[in-house]
Amino acid sequence: MATSSPTAQGSPAPLHSHPPRDTRITLLMLAPVLILLTIFVIVPTISAIYLSFFNWSFYQESEFVGLRNFVNVLTDPEFRAAIRRGLLFVLMTLPVQLLLSFLIASFVTGVGRRLATTLKIAVYIPTIISAVITSITFALIYEYSGGLLNAAVGLVGIEDQAWIGDVRLALPAIAVPAIWMGLGLMTLIMIAAMLDVPESFYEAAQLEGANWWQRTRYITIPQMKNVLLYLLITGFVAAIQQYELPLVMTGGGPLDSTTLPNLFIFNHFRGDTYQGYSIAAALLLFLVLGAVSALIFRVLNSEKLVD
Amino acid sequence: MTVPLETSRRLAPASPVSPSQPRRRPLTVRRVLTAIIRTVVAIVIVTAALFPLAWMAIAGFKSKQEVVRTPFQFFPEVWRLENYQQILADPAFVRTLAITGFGAVLFTLLSLTVNSFAAYAFARLEFAFKRTLWVVVISTMFIPGMTILLTSFIVVTKLHMLDTLAVLILPGAAAAAHVFFIRQFYLNIPRSLEEAAMIDGCGKFGIFLRLFVPLSKPPFVVVGITSFLVFWNAYVWPVMTITSPDLYQVQQYLATFRSERSSELALLMAGSTLAAAPVIILFLIFQRQIIANIKMAGLK
Repeated sequence: MATSSPTAQGSPAPLHSHPPRDTRITLLMLAPVLILLTIFVIVPTISAIYLSFFNWSFYQESEFVGLRNFVNVLTDPEFRAAIRRGLLFVLMTLPVQLLLSFLIASFVTGVGRRLATTLKIAVYIPTIISAVITSITFALIYEYSGGLLNAAVGLVGIEDQAWIGDVRLALPAIAVPAIWMGLGLMTLIMIAAMLDVPESFYEAAQLEGANWWQRTRYITIPQMKNVLLYLLITGFVAAIQQYELPLVMTGGGPLDSTTLPNLFIFNHFRGDTYQGYSIAAALLLFLVLGAVSALIFRVLNSEKLVD
Repeated sequence: MTVPLETSRRLAPASPVSPSQPRRRPLTVRRVLTAIIRTVVAIVIVTAALFPLAWMAIAGFKSKQEVVRTPFQFFPEVWRLENYQQILADPAFVRTLAITGFGAVLFTLLSLTVNSFAAYAFARLEFAFKRTLWVVVISTMFIPGMTILLTSFIVVTKLHMLDTLAVLILPGAAAAAHVFFIRQFYLNIPRSLEEAAMIDGCGKFGIFLRLFVPLSKPPFVVVGITSFLVFWNAYVWPVMTITSPDLYQVQQYLATFRSERSSELALLMAGSTLAAAPVIILFLIFQRQIIANIKMAGLK
């Protein structure tokens, strides 16, 4: 661009304060990503912000409405209910995932190499299975008559349940496959982090007669602080955004009991004629998620909790 | 991510390990018990991880009536291949596998090309606004898919891309996370290697092709497999953008099957098993590289 003057061709690079620039080759190599990101991420982001101030429709002139979409979202009891449901879903999945993956990782790091490899492969496989196939499979397990779960609880005398058809049971029933799908990545990241803790710490603790719990409490967990924080934040963001599982398994029902925040927004996308509302809701969720991530990060980073 | 060790206890060299304690302890009840518990725990973990998939495959071997029969029946009375044969004889299902696989391969190749190009540019080339462009590229990583789902749909509609293979391939091909991941790898390649190539008369692009690409197997495996999985497992975007049965994607096919032909559960389970098999096989082939790179991929 600016550097390609006709006289400069063939002559040695002019004296600049910065190193010579590779303008032409940069254009060739960077353009594809920049163009694709611009068309499919940046333009949609900017137009989402812009359209959130309009009552927009595929079929009619759009109308500027100022902040009304945001007011409508924030005062909508259904949106608030969806957010509360999302937080409840996070509480059902994330603590279980963190605890289970920590325990599995502790176990895997203590066994022989061959068994460890087998275990790592096994726990990771659910991660690569699609949400649709996971939904289909768990729906089969939850089947009311002739399903595996009802047969299993029947053995201990519990009567048949409509697992994904019951308002009280549907959300936990969706939490289980969510845990199953998300566990593998967390476990493998924890294993890697545990192997990073210097062996000498444990040897020192061993000499002082520390048991497993003391070693975990005073060495492993403090050493893994950053990794645990990372998993907490990414796990939160992933769990509150889950919507493919309820979309396929229940469609959000029964009685909205599995309408998680993103499914709420998605159903509005599909159902509404005017789109300002759903775009505003999606933007608000984005802002809230950023704020929550920052908050968790700050709280955990304060020395108080890590003593 | 280095954590400064505040309370590093010094290993006291004076404290002697009691010489009366032999290194290899004899076979005690305690040790046998430990071994048994370990085996049991390992079996529980593997079962919990793989059982749902096994259950799906087993259901595919059952008859139409057996799959949700009361009283409950764990294994089929006769293991039948009928469901697998029937779904594989369905041209719609086979076409869906073929078109999804074809799209996934194209998507993977495009993703590897554009993201490694950009990674090399950010790792090794000098250009105006490099820092600004880097921040712009990285910040796209934090925009949730749902926030731009509708407006992306508007964009592809205006570009007349609906119901084409391009609408499935182009929007997700450039991914900041992949650029970031490959760039991290390139930053660790010693510059001395390039100087040698430079003397041999290689240009910057030649260095990328002849030096960086051959060294890139580890990040390419991770990015390639991830891209393939993302494409193969995609559901919502195909549902929004593809209506022509010729281009139906495999997850779309399965979800539609489930809602429209709910009485043919055994057939659906056979189809799901066949749809899950390619990604499982792919993962098993490359599991070593993928597992080894998870720490790199997940954290900085």
